[in-house]
Amino acid sequence: MRSMFRYLWRYRGRVLLGLFALLLVDGGQLIIPQIIRSAVDELTQGQSQRLLFFGIAVVVIAALVAFFRFFWRYFLFGAARRVRRDIRDRLYDHMLKLSARFFQDTKTGELMSHFTNDVDAVTMAVGFGVLAFADFLIMVTFCVGAMISISPLLTLYAFAPLPILTLLVALFGRVIHRRFQAVQETFSTLTEKVREALSGVRVVKTFTQEEGMARDFARTNQLFIDKNMHLVKVWGLFDPMIAFMSGISSLIVLYFGGRAVITGSISLGQFVAFNVYLGLLTWPMMALGWTVNMVQRGRASMERIDKILETLPDVTDHPNAKPFNGQGFIEFRDLTFSYDGGPPVLENINVTIAPGQTLGIIGLTGSGKTTLVHLLVRVFDPPRGSLLIDGRDVREYSLDDLRHQIALVPQDGFLFSTTVRENIAFGNPHVSWESIVEVSRLAGLHDEILDLPQGFDTLLGERGVSLSGGQRQRVAIARALLTNPRILILDDALSAVDAEKEEEILRNLKDVLRSRTSIVIAHRISAVKELDHIIVLDRGRIVERGTHEELVGQDGIYAHLYQLQKAEEEVRI
Amino acid sequence: MQYAWEEEKLGKAYDAGLMKRLLRYVKPYRGLFIAAIVLSLLVTGTELALPYITKIVIDRHLLSASSYEQAIRGAGQFALLFLGMLLVRLLFSFIQVYVLQYTGQRVMYDMRTEIFSHLMKLPVRFFDKNPVGRLVTRATNDVAAINEMFSAVLVYLFKDAFLIVGIFAIMFQLNWRLAGLILLLTPLLIWIAFEFRKRARDAFREVRRKLAKLNAYLAESISGMRIIQLFVREQSSFREFSQINDEEYQANMQQITIFAVFQPLIGLLRAVATALILWYGGFGVVGGVFTLGSLVAFVSYIEMLFQPISDLAEKYNILQGAMASSERIFLLLDEPEERYLGKRLLSVKGRIEFRDVWFAYVPQPQSDADWILKGVSFTVESGERVAIVGPTGSGKTTIISLLLRLYEIQKGQILLDGVEIQELDLKSLRSQMAVVLQDVFLFSGDVLGNIRLQSEKIPTERAIEAARFVQADAFIQELPDRYQTEVKERGATLSVGQRQLLAFARAVAFNPKILILDEATANIDSKTEHLIQGSIGRMLEDRTSLVIAHRLSTIRHSDKIIVLHRGRIVEEGTHEQLLAKKGLYHALYSLQFGETGRSTLEHVRQAQTQLEFLEEEL
Repeated sequence: MRSMFRYLWRYRGRVLLGLFALLLVDGGQLIIPQIIRSAVDELTQGQSQRLLFFGIAVVVIAALVAFFRFFWRYFLFGAARRVRRDIRDRLYDHMLKLSARFFQDTKTGELMSHFTNDVDAVTMAVGFGVLAFADFLIMVTFCVGAMISISPLLTLYAFAPLPILTLLVALFGRVIHRRFQAVQETFSTLTEKVREALSGVRVVKTFTQEEGMARDFARTNQLFIDKNMHLVKVWGLFDPMIAFMSGISSLIVLYFGGRAVITGSISLGQFVAFNVYLGLLTWPMMALGWTVNMVQRGRASMERIDKILETLPDVTDHPNAKPFNGQGFIEFRDLTFSYDGGPPVLENINVTIAPGQTLGIIGLTGSGKTTLVHLLVRVFDPPRGSLLIDGRDVREYSLDDLRHQIALVPQDGFLFSTTVRENIAFGNPHVSWESIVEVSRLAGLHDEILDLPQGFDTLLGERGVSLSGGQRQRVAIARALLTNPRILILDDALSAVDAEKEEEILRNLKDVLRSRTSIVIAHRISAVKELDHIIVLDRGRIVERGTHEELVGQDGIYAHLYQLQKAEEEVRI
Repeated sequence: MQYAWEEEKLGKAYDAGLMKRLLRYVKPYRGLFIAAIVLSLLVTGTELALPYITKIVIDRHLLSASSYEQAIRGAGQFALLFLGMLLVRLLFSFIQVYVLQYTGQRVMYDMRTEIFSHLMKLPVRFFDKNPVGRLVTRATNDVAAINEMFSAVLVYLFKDAFLIVGIFAIMFQLNWRLAGLILLLTPLLIWIAFEFRKRARDAFREVRRKLAKLNAYLAESISGMRIIQLFVREQSSFREFSQINDEEYQANMQQITIFAVFQPLIGLLRAVATALILWYGGFGVVGGVFTLGSLVAFVSYIEMLFQPISDLAEKYNILQGAMASSERIFLLLDEPEERYLGKRLLSVKGRIEFRDVWFAYVPQPQSDADWILKGVSFTVESGERVAIVGPTGSGKTTIISLLLRLYEIQKGQILLDGVEIQELDLKSLRSQMAVVLQDVFLFSGDVLGNIRLQSEKIPTERAIEAARFVQADAFIQELPDRYQTEVKERGATLSVGQRQLLAFARAVAFNPKILILDEATANIDSKTEHLIQGSIGRMLEDRTSLVIAHRLSTIRHSDKIIVLHRGRIVEEGTHEQLLAKKGLYHALYSLQFGETGRSTLEHVRQAQTQLEFLEEEL
């Protein structure tokens, strides 16, 4: 619980101001019944000279209350919103540091829900929780004091139902929360049913199951309603129950207080004031019940958030990490790698790539090509001593430095929902306009960008233009080129581009590739056949290596693929 | 950076046309709905009565000169009445909430079911252009928004109106001058409420917009995390997030400020009303025109009067959201469904004929590239097995879709037993055929449910029999709960081969006249491969069948092979005839099934010359 309120500590000044305002507000609210009491008492005795004063006093105090109420709302709720902002910032900042493994194991939806639901639950607990608790303390102290001063016995009677109220709220709150969760779960099922039916709508139609699906949906729909009504049974009873309990208190005051007035032990004014105090207490007593639940939920959410904040990245900088400023001589030295103790994904990889050289990698899906290059940029860390750049273990380089100098273009060409220009300049936002144009030319993209509605300023993504797979890949290539890396890796980065275009782009890139250390992973032989050195990966092992001519002569996977692709190419015309 | 998120559109809070159409859904439950209104009026009645009881106790018993005993007894009687009222209120409000929620839920049930059934009947073309995610929202969140309106706004409009009228009626009856004075405050109150509503609405929208932006940014960053990290953009990404986060915070503070100004103002106004009562009412008491009890009652009624007015803004928001949702829902419901009705086929022989069929996925094809099928003609005689072969993108799958009438063709005719399929009853047409596609779609639910789908006409025995027939029974028996085993994550736990076998069982269970099969190309282990080959043979026996073939055995046993290339049929004949022709088929055949070796090239070269010749001819 401490952990949840620690975020509030930064804003203790604001919280204190807010609480002070709350104290004044509550105090002011408690004076008004006293005025009403005096007025009523004087009226009972037929006096009326102070009525105007009472009226003005009520308005003045109310104005002050209104004034301070603004401040407590502003400061207390505001502090909670600040806490929310801070937690979100902190979570995001931490997430940026986490490694690939974390994102593989955690679903996007789950992460999003930490940012929304969990952060909100904590906000509610620290904002509303603090307010309700402080309000409860102040009001109970003041009201009960005032009530006891009127009549201790009557206070005792009137208070009998109030703790029950708090208990009821806490209890009901828990049941309501549980049933509400059941409703939410069914709602997810319902959503999933619709999603599934729509994804499979072609199957549904071909098997003429439209009505059958509707019948099935109706069952889930009915279940959802049943869960809802199950909730309503408790939730619908909640408000009336609260009203009833506070009504019982009023009833007790009406009867016992009335008796006291008749016997003359309290005045009519005191009776009226007592009633008003009781009314003022209902909300804090109720809110206390809510607070219990809210703080519980907030704590559970805080635990989930803390779990993420405590997750350590598994790829980190070495204590005395070295800067990376060599030529980029890559050496895989008998590298064997597996994910989390599974079967090896790469076995006994031995290969070197000198600066100015380009390595071609060919292999079927699942042969370990992508893993191989991921190790270079330390998406995962390779075993010690098995992967060296310029003679030094990659793990000894500073992570940022390493990634600054190595550009990896992945197959999927992930782009952000911003303009084409900003996507290209992603790795280097302050680059000149000329370089952007130049890299987009190199990526064979320039003319196509100019054909877009706003050229380089065209927005991409869901609300903007959606590029074709091939275009996306080429933007990704331009983005990588712009960082002018020492090591450039194209991981099947032109798979969605047709063969001719691919060859054209690779021709454009010839000089770029020559002027650094490069790796080209491809499906098509045509993409690698002119490279210095080609390796063929099969189930994690290098099974063939050599130049194109050498490999074609070997009658292995490479030669086989070459024939097949050549034939296909020609049939396609 | 500039981002392009979807901005939420919010229109009017009330649209008579939409409301009228919405109320149609309430019509079947109007009895319950009216009951909920009546009950809420009764509850309001008890709420109005409670302060009045206190007034009577004060005036009659606490202040009267009657004897002590009498006073106590009187107070006791009224206390009992008070208790009775409390109980009545407790009971009625619970029933009211229950009835109202029940009605709302029934209405939602009807709406959801209607939307869902409608969605199922929309043409496939509709789903090509509308993303599933957005459609799901119609049946779920949009309906929920309308439910909120029904359960939190509509009935309470009556209740609030009754409460306000009731309070003023009682106040006027107690003292019309004082009541009049308070009535004079009402315009001010309403003015504040409306000013607030306007600002609160804008602030609310801003908060929603910023939150949507934050969530969108977050979702994108999570999916693009690898890129952010590889390009070492963590710091700038954090700055951007932090800025969006701060914007959201600012929007929230704006909203808090508006509420922090408005809520105390309402409280202040209430205090003014109380002061008026004390001052003016107090003089009335002294002057004898007003009782003390009435004065106390006035104070209580003022409290009650302000509540519904404070809630006004929230109700307005709900109403507005519901209107926007209902507009989207009705737009969807107005989408035309597929044409289902037509001639019913009594007995089907299963002869299929395509006559010069032209088809494009775009509604108005412009260039030659838009046409997917260009004048395709062929026949499949009843009981025949016909294989379609051709390179990727040649239009094989399109032929299947057209035969099932998932799309309507632009030119030409497709006939089943000599009747144009456009004239046929859609269900009667589709129920003659069963389709097995490469990518088997499995639904959540158990294995059995995936064989018979939602059909009530297929008893368990027949489904199991079908599974046995296609030799799927063996692997199903090995699953933890056999036929009742839950299929998780769209069948991710099953192998490709097992999913194929399930799809076969599904097709056989529906016992179609015509079987359409798109063979899987994926690698399947040799044991399953063997099973599948056997099953395909058994399934296709005695049926008219159209197979997009990738397996040699399937092709060899076909009565006829159609070779498709770029939307045209380039060759047609039996396996032997086509091989002898040394054309495209021969080339494809050697590529796929011939021994890998240099000889392939020769065939390919030949095919190429053949095709060039063909292209010239066309």
